Amino acid sequence: MNLVTEQYKDVVTQDVLGMTYENQTINYLKIGEKSDKPKKVIWMDCGIHAREWISPAFCQWFVKELLENYKTDEKISRFFQNMDFYVVPLLNMDGYNYTWMENRLWRKSRSPSPVSNCSCFGTDLNRNFDASWNSIGASQNCCSEIFCGSKAESESEVKAVVDLVGRIKNDILCFLTIHSYGQLILMPYGHPNKTAPNHDEHLKLGQNAANAIKQKHGTSYRVGPPSQILYPNSGSSRDWARDIGIEFSFTFELRDNGTFGFKLPEDQIQPTCEEAMAGVTTIVEYVHNKQFGSAAAATVALWSTVLASYLSLLVLVQ
Amino acid sequence: MRWTLWIVLGLFPLIDGHPTLKTDQNSLETADAALNHQNGSLNSVLHLDDTEKAALETTRNDPAFPMKELNTSHYPATRAAKVAQHYLNYHHGSPFKWFMVHAVKKASSEDIPEVGKKYHIQFSVQEQATKEIVGNCTAEILFRHTEVQSAPEVNCTCDDLLKIKTSDADHALYHHIKHQPEPMTGMDIPDSHGNIPKEMEPFWYLGGIGASFIMWQQSNESTLYNMAHVHSVKQLNSENDLLAFEYVVLLHDMVSQEIIHWHMQVAWNPTQGVKVTQCHLLPKGTLKQPSAEKHKI
Repeated sequence: MNLVTEQYKDVVTQDVLGMTYENQTINYLKIGEKSDKPKKVIWMDCGIHAREWISPAFCQWFVKELLENYKTDEKISRFFQNMDFYVVPLLNMDGYNYTWMENRLWRKSRSPSPVSNCSCFGTDLNRNFDASWNSIGASQNCCSEIFCGSKAESESEVKAVVDLVGRIKNDILCFLTIHSYGQLILMPYGHPNKTAPNHDEHLKLGQNAANAIKQKHGTSYRVGPPSQILYPNSGSSRDWARDIGIEFSFTFELRDNGTFGFKLPEDQIQPTCEEAMAGVTTIVEYVHNKQFGSAAAATVALWSTVLASYLSLLVLVQ
Repeated sequence: MRWTLWIVLGLFPLIDGHPTLKTDQNSLETADAALNHQNGSLNSVLHLDDTEKAALETTRNDPAFPMKELNTSHYPATRAAKVAQHYLNYHHGSPFKWFMVHAVKKASSEDIPEVGKKYHIQFSVQEQATKEIVGNCTAEILFRHTEVQSAPEVNCTCDDLLKIKTSDADHALYHHIKHQPEPMTGMDIPDSHGNIPKEMEPFWYLGGIGASFIMWQQSNESTLYNMAHVHSVKQLNSENDLLAFEYVVLLHDMVSQEIIHWHMQVAWNPTQGVKVTQCHLLPKGTLKQPSAEKHKI
């Protein structure tokens, strides 16, 4: 991350998001043309579940794609002018480390149990957000893989996200969180009784993203709220982001469908990242254009202004 | 001349609005068209048209018939299809033939009072080694609503299942194993990075087929199982013409997110297929966790 920040210091800043339980520093990258004025933001976090190794791999791919192409790709160039990408390449660092050193299939954080008669470690970070916390699809058993913690935001990793996103929420156009596996694009909400006010727009946008993914390598992704297409759940970061007013919020569950599951082999990393990139770009482009207008409209508007000014000048001169 | 100019200037606001921050409602519709996506509504941000809304409804209840049409991308249909996959694999799989659900095409369910719920699924499967798609599978899956877990009852047929011929490969493997001086063993398939040595692939498949039996037996409407890992495989002595193996496999249940450890004994030969002769659940924490690379980050 330091190398990237150094090499692309014109457009990249690295900052501290917070600390993990084991006192590791969680860093994030802020990527875009530097500006004095506040800019709109696209948020992406990876590696919230330790065993989902393709997720932090995708964040790295995403950053690479942006930085290798922002000078030559007109679309990305516009994104960089108007927005900043906030990317957290690896949120659950303690858990990820544990998957390398001890248990490849670890999911949760590595904080000790808050419950005295329960000796297991870890809270499911994606059940620990304050979004219908502990209502459904989560467990109060500290040994469960979906243990949601003793209270919402008990985990320092979650607190770190909440602090920053909460501060800049009015600027965030879209919240993206990357997981595996399942080949899904999930939208709010996990709770079966909750529907987002812009549900239809989310669904359509998600479907467009899934279409873009399919065009890349033929991979099928399903789209919908988890309460319908996966399982009811609560306390997720995606739902919390929507609840605090971020207009668009998606979870990506990347490849595969269960053959390799969490252990996606090396030869699938690049195609998975390429197709996910296509899906994410579809979403980013939509939310960008909704805010700033498309390039075509901007060009027409610009030339119209120029022509109007010229004609006004002629009139004055007459 | 002057009047013409004034008229043109006057007409400008009608042609163009605010010069800078206009929301382009058409941007995603343009993307839609480029992606061959049908869309009728162009006058605002993304809306589902009535056809799309109907397709996405969870259920359609027709009081005259007890069958409920299910949305094929919703989890009741996908979980039932996964059970059919496990059933199909156990009955037709081999060290060279392992199916995954490819797409659910049609799904419906009916409540059977005092018994449970029966699902009717039409789906396609893809064979993992050859990547061949078997397009026409139908299954009936009955989940009995019992106090303790009971295996779902499955009827499943696919047209063209026999087009995937693995007989030669099966026999070659069988003879190869029979003539080895030492019984085979293996561990951690795949490794942490998803790698599987080529010679281990048939034993990964065999583990997957044996695990399919367990996953079928353990499934209900609140589970979705996949095999996450073969912890160990060891060839056992066998006097008859069946080869026998002892496996420890790790299963992942998507709904609870739990990793469940099972010990099983699997018998196989090319003509009789795969049979799980024994299996039992291992308590959490019995065995050392799947080894990971000892790398420093």
